[in-house]
Amino acid sequence: MDRKIKVVMAKLGLDIHWRGVYLVSQFMKEAGMDVVYLGNKFPTEIVEAAIEEDADVVGLSSLSGNHLALGPIVVDMLREKGLDRVKVFMGGVMPPDHAKRLEKEYGVQKVFLPDTPMQEIIDGINAAVNNTH
Amino acid sequence: MAYRKDDGNKEPVCLFSEEHVRLIKDQYKDWFDKSLREEDRQTEGKYFTHSGIPVKLAYTPADIENVSYIEDIGFPGHAPYLRGVYPNMYRGRLFTVRQLAGLGAPEDCNERVCYLLDHGATGVNILFDMPTIRGYNSDDPEAEGNVGACGAAVDSVWDMDAFFKDIDLGAVSTSIVTHLPSTSLVIPGMYFAVAEKRGTPLSKVAGTCQNDFIMETCVGSGYEILPPSVSFRMQCDTVEWICKNVPRFNPISFNGYNLREAGTDAIAEVAIGISNAIATAEELIKRGMKFDDFAPRMSFFWDLHNDFFEEIAKCRASRKVWYKVAKERFGAQNPKSMLMRFHVQTAGVTLPATEPLNNIARSAIQGLAAVLGGCQSLHIDSFDEAYSAPTEEAALVSLRTQQIIQTETGVCNTVDPLAGSYYVEYLTDQMVQRIFDYISKIEGLGGLVQAVESGWLHREIVNYNNKYQEKIENGQMKIVGVNFMKGDKAKAAPIQVFEYPETYSRQKAKLERLRKERNNRNVEEALSILRQKCHTNENLYPYCLDAVRNMATLGEIEELFREEFGLWAFPLL
Repeated sequence: MDRKIKVVMAKLGLDIHWRGVYLVSQFMKEAGMDVVYLGNKFPTEIVEAAIEEDADVVGLSSLSGNHLALGPIVVDMLREKGLDRVKVFMGGVMPPDHAKRLEKEYGVQKVFLPDTPMQEIIDGINAAVNNTH
Repeated sequence: MAYRKDDGNKEPVCLFSEEHVRLIKDQYKDWFDKSLREEDRQTEGKYFTHSGIPVKLAYTPADIENVSYIEDIGFPGHAPYLRGVYPNMYRGRLFTVRQLAGLGAPEDCNERVCYLLDHGATGVNILFDMPTIRGYNSDDPEAEGNVGACGAAVDSVWDMDAFFKDIDLGAVSTSIVTHLPSTSLVIPGMYFAVAEKRGTPLSKVAGTCQNDFIMETCVGSGYEILPPSVSFRMQCDTVEWICKNVPRFNPISFNGYNLREAGTDAIAEVAIGISNAIATAEELIKRGMKFDDFAPRMSFFWDLHNDFFEEIAKCRASRKVWYKVAKERFGAQNPKSMLMRFHVQTAGVTLPATEPLNNIARSAIQGLAAVLGGCQSLHIDSFDEAYSAPTEEAALVSLRTQQIIQTETGVCNTVDPLAGSYYVEYLTDQMVQRIFDYISKIEGLGGLVQAVESGWLHREIVNYNNKYQEKIENGQMKIVGVNFMKGDKAKAAPIQVFEYPETYSRQKAKLERLRKERNNRNVEEALSILRQKCHTNENLYPYCLDAVRNMATLGEIEELFREEFGLWAFPLL
């Protein structure tokens, strides 16, 4: 099936830094993905949007320290709804060991830290989604 | 006695005589054609400053042939204040060493503030966590995960008291980094209430709050945002009330910094900051104030980015633009109304996570540019910027960097040492023109509030970011260690991170106790008066202050605003 990859992007909670997540959303669109940018949302709303949009990927941006508190909730809520196939990616400013924990302990597919080239993000998403299709 | 344009119709005296300039132009052509190789000549037209001003291979007096020293540059502390706001500049008073502090609970911050003051910091600069910035209490469900992260949690006047334990509020000057006008109505009020309680008269309280509606509506996206016109009204309420009641406190810091970090060039940064000052001045004049009543208390906040000379030129140019706006547009009489005083923070956005110690060099160079540009106070970003708010070690390195610039380099010994550089004067002149052009563009859109409401400014930011990122991705903009001269990526960065996981429970317990101990009837009464005043033209400040004195929490007051004024959709979604 030649369906575009559907991505739901959100700024986590009260974090205000929108520059990065908006930029990444635009690059994804240019790379042929179907992207919905939600703006600032909390986990429940993000998961609802993921269901409504039939998303393949949820992208979460956090630059204000709420990555460990809110990121894992999104993963858990998706699983509770039986949406294991939805991959959760995160990006933003956080200590590298937090990024590792999000990937290893909390089921986040991949965390993209600062300085990551856009293409690496696009490739990472493509690879993860195509593996499950 | 020097003459000025407004003294008559005499032509200004230029730096170099016409004959001299003609000679230089002839010889420049000769030099360009004969001394340079063809491939050198080919490079001309291909270099630009960060903001897009063309850069020549070499500058001569011919590039500033129309510049008059007396009219366009002037003496330090004299119009048009290009060279600095004080005649003696740093010999008289060094720039204030104002490093940010804010992490965890107010009690943790108090330790950091005392630590910085003990190590020679001369001002305090406090920043808040996201719930506080956006006006939520720590125990609000919306605050989850952000309490005490990347700034301090402040819920009530108790927290402000703890933040400044053992610090004499009549003796320090404190920058209270309230980003939004809605919280600037409340958080500085907590500071004033603490001062009052300790017996320090408001006439002795010095400091600054940020209070910029661009922060609320463009720079930060938000879960819930007040409409631009409401945010702008609140911004003006705070300026009006503080100018009348707390004479040593700057009620606004027009924030080019965060706008620049969100995505603009140096020209837009200054032009938008000054456009906001113009809009604010017009509103306050409408309310019956005189320009000279409030202009001396307006301050500005610039971001010093990587383009060394352009940033210095920006600082110089911004003072001249403000002088002309104050004098020519608003008819300022008091010289203090014409002086642009500004705080500088070095550019966090330029500090990558890769090889973080390199950021010490980047920040030092940016800090040097700020001092060469004549800033009044400075924060130098720390090397762990891309990981978290600075650790104690990183904060100390930043503080030491400032002290090294002040005492070891000799740059503070003479005023505006780059004046007269053909290149710096050319750039300064270019910046002045381009800032004025951008201000005119905003006026053409109906003014700054409308430029925000329509989403125009958001689109400017997005367009800039697209171009910036493209330049990084295609290697046109080189970042050492990131996309150029890459090092060993596998090597772990020597970074530790501060964490205060207990902040949430501490703040929650404190709020519970507060709600039990305060007189809740007084709180309700104060809030109900405030609620009613929202729908009048009255200044909201005294009613907020009254609520704060009665120990209303930040979240309670902000929730009231959200209910009464409704919310605005961020125009990019």
